[in-house]
This record gives sequence, structure tokens and C-alpha cells, in this order.
Amino acid sequence: MSLADPLWPYLLVLLIGFLPSEIWRALAVVLVKGLDERSEILVWVRAVATTLVAGVVAKLLFAPTGALAAAPLVGRLGALAAGVVVFFALRRSVLAGVLAGEAALVAMVWWAAR
Amino acid sequence: MPPNPTVRLALRGVRDALALPAWVVGLSMFAVGSLAGEVGFPAGAAALSTLLIWAGPAQVIFFGGLAAGSALPAIALAVTLSSIRLLPMTLSILPLLRHRAKGPLLQLLAAHYVAVTVWVESARRLPAMPAAHRLPYYLGFANACLCVCVVTTFAGHSLVGALPPPLAAGLLFLTPLFFTLSLAAGARTLPDWTAILLGFSLAPLFTALVGKDFDLLATGLVGGSAAYAAGRLGRRS
Repeated sequence: MSLADPLWPYLLVLLIGFLPSEIWRALAVVLVKGLDERSEILVWVRAVATTLVAGVVAKLLFAPTGALAAAPLVGRLGALAAGVVVFFALRRSVLAGVLAGEAALVAMVWWAAR
Repeated sequence: MPPNPTVRLALRGVRDALALPAWVVGLSMFAVGSLAGEVGFPAGAAALSTLLIWAGPAQVIFFGGLAAGSALPAIALAVTLSSIRLLPMTLSILPLLRHRAKGPLLQLLAAHYVAVTVWVESARRLPAMPAAHRLPYYLGFANACLCVCVVTTFAGHSLVGALPPPLAAGLLFLTPLFFTLSLAAGARTLPDWTAILLGFSLAPLFTALVGKDFDLLATGLVGGSAAYAAGRLGRRS
């Protein structure tokens, strides 16, 4: 890759970053025409999208990149479980769950590195 | 308080985003900015990638691929595969906004903001709102997330490698943790919970079966269809 031309990185973002991902959002704008808000196909599409997001979570947890790999799998799952338990215990508070899960994970990695 | 109801709704979106979600996605973009810095990418182009690509996994693939010296068409292909999930997400959001987002240009603009954080939060907040209130709220919410993220991409680019390991691990843990809780907060019905559990358990299985390029697609289609079928059976009985 030649980073010599100062415009080259911006062109790369546009051509091999923006266009290949934006095409799916644009396709959705085309496909959504005539679809009723309450139609069965949208119920299915919503289930697929929900499953995809949960799949993204699983990939990030089971095959982490970089610094997160310093925490063992059991620890990553344990910290997630701590977050979920606090979330439900404190009347479905996302903020409390995030803080509890983060505290558990950071403490664990810090402890393991001592 | 501004008198214009549209402005008031947009500001409510901004406020709800700044209450937590914008910072969570902002910190994940901090990590993307650091990655771009390590690759030797200019800060402006890194910020542009957040503004235009606006999809964390695609940006990681983009910068990771450049770092590895992959062929440019191969990077574009990997980016497009990782972004297929944006199609069902956008498809399920646009009908909620249709009452005010009528023209194709406004729909394209609304579609551009769809990414996982904006999707999970919108999918659980918008249906409960009056149809006419949704678009200004959505644009306020999404723009607040995007603005925070452009700033944190810059910050990550200049602070590359400066975080101690426990905090760096916590930064990367934030995304899966927040998505999980956000999905749980939005889950109301049996098919919702089925979709979450199937997505979580099928993804590692499909990674082993079909490889890491198509595993998410397979997970979404198989698990999502099963969750939908479970919902239909539940409605019939």
C-alpha cells in the first residue's frame, strides 16, 4: 500500500470501506418499498437481525482480539454473567449491568497480571 | 425548553444517547482509532471511516486487512460480507420511520445511521412512540452517537497504546457486554429470547462448520428462522 499520496487513505476509505458496507443499507431502502410495518416477513427479518447481533456478541466473547484475550474464557463469561445478574437485580438497569460487568472484568485482568 | 416539538424530540434523542449508548459505541470507536493509528493511517481518514463506514466490525476488517497487506479487492469483499447484517437491521428500522421519512434521499440518510448500537436502541424505543415522533428522535439519537464517535476515533488515534492492559481489556469487553444487556432490555417475547439464545450458541458452532466469513450469515438465517417459527407456533396454540 502506498501512503505517499496524501489523498490515497481517504480514497481507500471511500472505495473499499464505505461502498461495500453502504450497499446493504441502500439495498434495504429499495427492498422496504411496499412492505407493511406489521407484515410477517418483517417479523422474520427482525428475528434474523436479533440473532445476528447475539452472534456478534458470541464471536467477540469466544474469539476475542487484542487485550481482551488476556482474560480467560471462563472469566469473560463470568463477567458477562455478573453484568446480566446485576441488570435484572436492579430492575433492568443497563447502566448498572455495564458497570458491574466491566468492574468484574477489569479487576480480573488486573489480578491475573499481578 | 425550545418551543418547536421536532427540536424537542431530537434533543430527547440526543439526551438518551448521551445517557450511555453513545459513550459505549464511542469507546469501541476509540479502539478502532487506535488500530488505525497502529496501521499508520492519518487521523482524518480514521475519523472519515467512522463517519462513512459507521460499522465497527467492517472498520476493524478494513484496518486489519491494510495492516496485513491484503489485496484491496479481498478487503472490500471481507468488508461487504461483514456488513450483510446491516440489511435485515435497516429493513426492520425503516418501516418505523416511514411516516415522516418519505422521500428516497431521507430514507437513505436514515439508513446510513443503522449500526448495531443504533439498531438495538431504536428497535426497543421506537415502536412504543407515536409514529410522527420517531424520525426526529431517531436522528437526534443517531447523530449524537456519530458525533461522539468521530471525536473518540480521533482520541484513540492519538492515544494509541497508552492504556494499561486491564483497561484495554475492559474497553474491548464493553461492546459484547452492552449489546447483551441492550438486547435483554429490548426482549419482550418468547421469539426475542429464542433469537438471542440461538444467536449466542450457534455462532461458535457455525464458525467451526462454515468458517469465519459466513458464520454470522448462517447463524442469522438458521437461528432467526427457528426463532420466528417458534413464535408462530406459540401464537397458534
